[in-house]
Amino acid sequence: MGEGERDRALVEVRDLHVRFGEVEAVGGVHLTAYAGRATALLGRNGAGKSTTMRVLAGVVPPTSGSVLVAGHDVRRHPMAAKRAVGYCPDVGGLVPRATPWEHLQLAARLRRLPTGWEPRARDLLERFELGDVAHRVTAGFSHGMGRRLSVVLAALHEPQVLLLDEPFDGVDPLGVEATLEVVADARSRGAAVLVSTHLRELAIEACSTVSVLRGGAQVAEMSALDMAGEEGARAYRSLLD
Amino acid sequence: MPTARSWTEGLLREQGRAVADVGTLLRFRAAHVRRPRAFRAGLVLFALATTATAVVPAHLPGAGGPGRAQDVLLLLPTALAGLVLIAVVSAVASGGGRELLARDPAAVHPISPTTDHLGALVLAPLNIAWLLQAWTLLGAASYGAGAGPLVALQTAMLLWLVLATAVGQVVAWGVEGVRRLRFGEVGVRLLTVAAVVVVLLLQLDDRLVPLLDQVPTVRVVAISVGGVTAAWWGVVGTLAGLSVAAVVLGALPAHLATRRVPHDELRVESESHRARPLPRSDLAVLLRTDRGSVWRAVPMRRGLAVLAIGPGVVALVGDLDWVQLTILPGLVASGGALLFGVNAWCLDGRGGLWRESLPVGAGTVFAARAWVLAEFLVAASLVTVALGGLRAGVPTATEATALLAMLAVVTVQVVGAAMRWSLAHPYAVDLRSARATPAPPLMMVGYSSRLALSTTMTGLVFSGLARLEAPGLPLLLAVPFLCWSGARLARAHERWTDPVQRARVVVTAAA
Repeated sequence: MGEGERDRALVEVRDLHVRFGEVEAVGGVHLTAYAGRATALLGRNGAGKSTTMRVLAGVVPPTSGSVLVAGHDVRRHPMAAKRAVGYCPDVGGLVPRATPWEHLQLAARLRRLPTGWEPRARDLLERFELGDVAHRVTAGFSHGMGRRLSVVLAALHEPQVLLLDEPFDGVDPLGVEATLEVVADARSRGAAVLVSTHLRELAIEACSTVSVLRGGAQVAEMSALDMAGEEGARAYRSLLD
Repeated sequence: MPTARSWTEGLLREQGRAVADVGTLLRFRAAHVRRPRAFRAGLVLFALATTATAVVPAHLPGAGGPGRAQDVLLLLPTALAGLVLIAVVSAVASGGGRELLARDPAAVHPISPTTDHLGALVLAPLNIAWLLQAWTLLGAASYGAGAGPLVALQTAMLLWLVLATAVGQVVAWGVEGVRRLRFGEVGVRLLTVAAVVVVLLLQLDDRLVPLLDQVPTVRVVAISVGGVTAAWWGVVGTLAGLSVAAVVLGALPAHLATRRVPHDELRVESESHRARPLPRSDLAVLLRTDRGSVWRAVPMRRGLAVLAIGPGVVALVGDLDWVQLTILPGLVASGGALLFGVNAWCLDGRGGLWRESLPVGAGTVFAARAWVLAEFLVAASLVTVALGGLRAGVPTATEATALLAMLAVVTVQVVGAAMRWSLAHPYAVDLRSARATPAPPLMMVGYSSRLALSTTMTGLVFSGLARLEAPGLPLLLAVPFLCWSGARLARAHERWTDPVQRARVVVTAAA
C-alpha cells in the first residue's frame, strides 16, 4: 500500500449528534480514521463510544452531522456503508440459538462473499480456538467465547472498515493475541480499524492513534505512544475528569 | 437450657421472609411499569369487570329461575373441574408458572424457591385463559343462582379459584421436579399421553360425563346455592383450609425442582446442528436463521405442543363438529403469538445489533420474521384442526371453505397485530427458560385480551357462515378481512423500514 493510499480517510465524522428522546448520547464528535491505521476510542462509561460505533456500523442513524464510511454517507447510502464495514458490537452480538457456522453463513450470503469463503472462515475459527464449537448453538457460550466469535464475524469479509467495540472484554490471552493479529492483518491490507476499549494498554498495543471521548464529545486525539507508560496514564486520567 | 431456634420457628421465619420478598418484588415490578397511568387504569378496569361479571348476570331476566338458568347451574360443577384442569395445564406448560423477576437478573439476588412459588401464584391470574375461565365461572354462577344466594355462591367460587390455582401450581412444580430427573422428560411425556388416552377411552365408552358428575364440585355448588347455612360454612372452611394447605405445600416441590437442573434447557443450549448448504437467497437464509430461533427454543416448543394438542384433544373428546371447529384456529393463533410473536424482535437477543449491521433490506428482514411467525401459527392450528376433526367426519364444502378462510384471516390478523406491537413495545427478553414470556405480565394480559376478542369475533363470523349452503361466501367475505389486516401489516412493515424506529427496537431488544 502506497503512502497516498495510506492517508486516505475511510471514516470521516463531522459534528456527530445522536439523541434518544431527551438524552444526547453523542454531542459533537469529530473523528477521522485512515486506511492502514488503527484508532482507539477511549473514554469513560457513557462517553458515547459505543453509540458512535453503532452509527458507523449503520445500526443507529445519526440525528445530525456528517458521517462518511468508505466514502458512503451512512444516512443516504446505509447499505453501501454496511457493505464496507465489519462490526463487533459491545454487547453479545450473537443470535442465541444459531451456531457459529450459521452466523458465518448468514454473513457470507448477505455480504455476497464469492465461493470459497469457507476456508478463511474455518481458519478464523481455528485462530480464535472456536473450531470445535463451530456447530454448537451460541446460547451456551461463555462471555469470552462470544466476544471472540464476534471478532471473527466482523473480520470474515475483510472489510474496508473494521469496528471492534470492546473486543478484549473478558477474553483470555490467546483470544487477545488473535484479536491483535486480526487488527494487524486489517491494517496491512489497508483497512481502517476503530477499537473501542477501556483497556488502555491493549489500545496502545493495537492502535497508532487514540481518540478520547468525554460526555458524548471528543476531547483529544493523539498518538498512541503519548498514552503509553505512567506519563500516558496520567495524561489519560486528566482527560477523563 | 437449649437456646437454639426450633425448626418450626426457622420455617415460619423463612416463610415470612418469602412473603415479604414477594411484596418487594411486586413493588419493584410496579415501579418499572412503562405507563403507570395505563397500569392503574387497567387494574381498576379489571376490578370493575370482575365485579360486574359476578353481580350483573344475577339481575338479568330469567336469572336463578328454571329453564336456561337451571341448565347453566347444572354445568357449573363441570366448569369448576375444568378450571382445575386449565390451571394445571397452564402452570405445567410454563414450567412452574411465571417469574416475578427473570432468571438472569434474579440470579444475583437471594430469592428463595418459596418466593418464586408465591410469585408464580400471584402472577397466575394474569393469563387470558385463567381470566376467561374465571369470568365465565363467576358470570355463570351469578346467572344460574340469581340474586338470592349470590354472596354465598360467589364466595365459594372465589375460594375455588384460589384453590384451583394453588393446586395447579403444586402439580406444576411436581411435574417440573420429575421432568428434571434422569429420564424424567420421557416419563412426563408418557404420563401425558396415557392421561389423554384414558380420557379419550372414557369418552368413547360414554363414561366421562357420569364420572364428571361424581366430582365433589357438585357438592360445593349444591350447598352454596342454598345460601349461608352451617353446611356452607363447612364448604367455605374446607376450601379455605385446602387453599392454604396447597399454597404452603407448593413450596416443597418448588424447592425440589429448583435444586435440579432443567435438562431440556441445557440440552438446547449445548446442542450441535450439522452444517447445511448455503441458502440461495437473502430471504431463505433469514428464514432459516429465524426458524432456528423459534424451533430451538424450549418455551416455543413446549408452548406449541400444549397449544396445538390441548384444544385438539378437547375438541376430540367433546366431539365438536366442523362448524364449532372453525373457531379453534383463532384461539390457537392467539396463543401462538403470545409465545414470542408480540415481541418478535427479541428472538435475536443481543445478536440484533450485529444482524442490523448486515447489508440486507429492512423489508426482507421484516418479511422473514412475519413469515416465520405465520408458519408457526398455521402449523399449530393445523394440528389442532386435524386432531379435532378425527371424529367430525367429512366436512361439507361450505365447512371446508369457512375453515380455510378462517385460517387465512386469523393468521394475517394475528401476525399483523403481533408485528405492530413488536415495533411499538420492544423488550429485552431472553426466551431460554420455559417460564419466560416475551413481555411483562400485564402487557401479556392486554395482548391476550385483544387477540382473544378479535379472533373470537372473526371465528363467530366464519362459523356462522359455515352453517350456510354457500361454499363461496366464506372465501368472498375473507377478502375484506384480509385486505384490512394486510393493510395493517403493511403499515407495520413501513414503520420497520424507518431507520430511527428500527434502531429504537433493535437497541432496546439487545439491551
